[in-house]
Amino acid sequence: MGNNKPVKESIVEYAQGSVGGLLFSFPLLYTMEVWYSGYLVQPGNLIIMVIVTFLLLLGYNRYSGMHPGTSWKNVVIDSFEEMGIGLIMSFCILLMLNRIQLHADSLDEIMGKVIIEAMVVSIGVSIGTAQLGSSAKENGDQKEDQEKELSDAEKAGKKRRSSKTALVVLALCGSIVVGGSVAPTEEVLLIAAEATPLHILLMSIASILLSMVVCYFIDFKGTGQSEKKPAIYDIIFDTCLSYSAALVSSIFVLWYFGAFSNLSFWNIVAQCIVLGVISSLGASAGRLLFK
Amino acid sequence: MNEDRKKKNNPEDEKNILEWAVFSLSLLLITGILGYLVFQTIQHEPGSPDLVITYETAPSPHAPYRYHVTISNEGQETAEEVQIELILEKDGQQLELATLDILYAPKESSKEGWVNFSKNPIEADTLYARVVSYKKP
Repeated sequence: MGNNKPVKESIVEYAQGSVGGLLFSFPLLYTMEVWYSGYLVQPGNLIIMVIVTFLLLLGYNRYSGMHPGTSWKNVVIDSFEEMGIGLIMSFCILLMLNRIQLHADSLDEIMGKVIIEAMVVSIGVSIGTAQLGSSAKENGDQKEDQEKELSDAEKAGKKRRSSKTALVVLALCGSIVVGGSVAPTEEVLLIAAEATPLHILLMSIASILLSMVVCYFIDFKGTGQSEKKPAIYDIIFDTCLSYSAALVSSIFVLWYFGAFSNLSFWNIVAQCIVLGVISSLGASAGRLLFK
Repeated sequence: MNEDRKKKNNPEDEKNILEWAVFSLSLLLITGILGYLVFQTIQHEPGSPDLVITYETAPSPHAPYRYHVTISNEGQETAEEVQIELILEKDGQQLELATLDILYAPKESSKEGWVNFSKNPIEADTLYARVVSYKKP
């Protein structure tokens, strides 16, 4: 018990998490289509949403959370906390924005709106806690950190974070957070419907180039001290992983918001590529920002 | 022994009372929500929207022939782009028609609006409301 973290420190972490949550989710909280999907989505799909978000939180906390050497038990506890904070925050903000009315709306409608919004808020909380927390810490105890010897668990944690699994998990989180705020809007369907195959091809090439540029910088930064340029193989491999993760998350969020119903195969592909431009930036730049 | 060393090196790993409280509350909230959703999924029966209109006179200083309209959806599905008409009739002849459009009528919820007539409804012998159309979202 003597080793417990001070309560004050926990409060600071929750505040950092809340700010991060708001930063990433405000665009979604202010999007009309998301409120509508709150009462259009079936309860079964909401369950899928909760489970997928929880898995993403587990992945993010394991591979990029605040404490590199933390145990699975703490990763699970943190993920529950973040989702709980996300749910309460999204309820309070929707109430403040008068998007839910306790006396007029049915419980299903309120739950739908709150849960859909809360999922992105909770990923934002997780990113906020890790990023704002670690940058504040770095500034504070930079010298101390240099002198401090890393424990075995922390060493293993640091190693784990440079693995390809970490890359995929962070790419998925980044693309869901960035792409997820655009997916429910009508604009994706409109762009996809009015684009010619040439436009779609250009979008796809642009996404790949964007991913490649960002991956180059990440790999360059990763080599850091040695000033060695990253190998072409690494950049191509990372770009492929990033873009694949972006497309997978685009398919998931578009399907989730019902963008595929009664559409031809070409339209579905076109929508994925259109959203993929944004998601791929989320996937690759997300890794840069969230690392 | 190994466990002790881990604790010593990572004091942040030990949760304090506030964190346990937030965790317990979150766990309760999430399991409650999942339980409710599972219950709803089992209970859910596919169906169509079922709209009911109620109206009452609600005059205002600038709209003396105004009616307050409430649309309740008692069905199992949300209705989109709901079109409602209120019709004034005298001796079987239509005197006036007022329309109201509602973007969404979610299931088991109600939406409200107002319609204005230019003629005094007292001149008519019949006033009735009907839902003209709505679509599947």
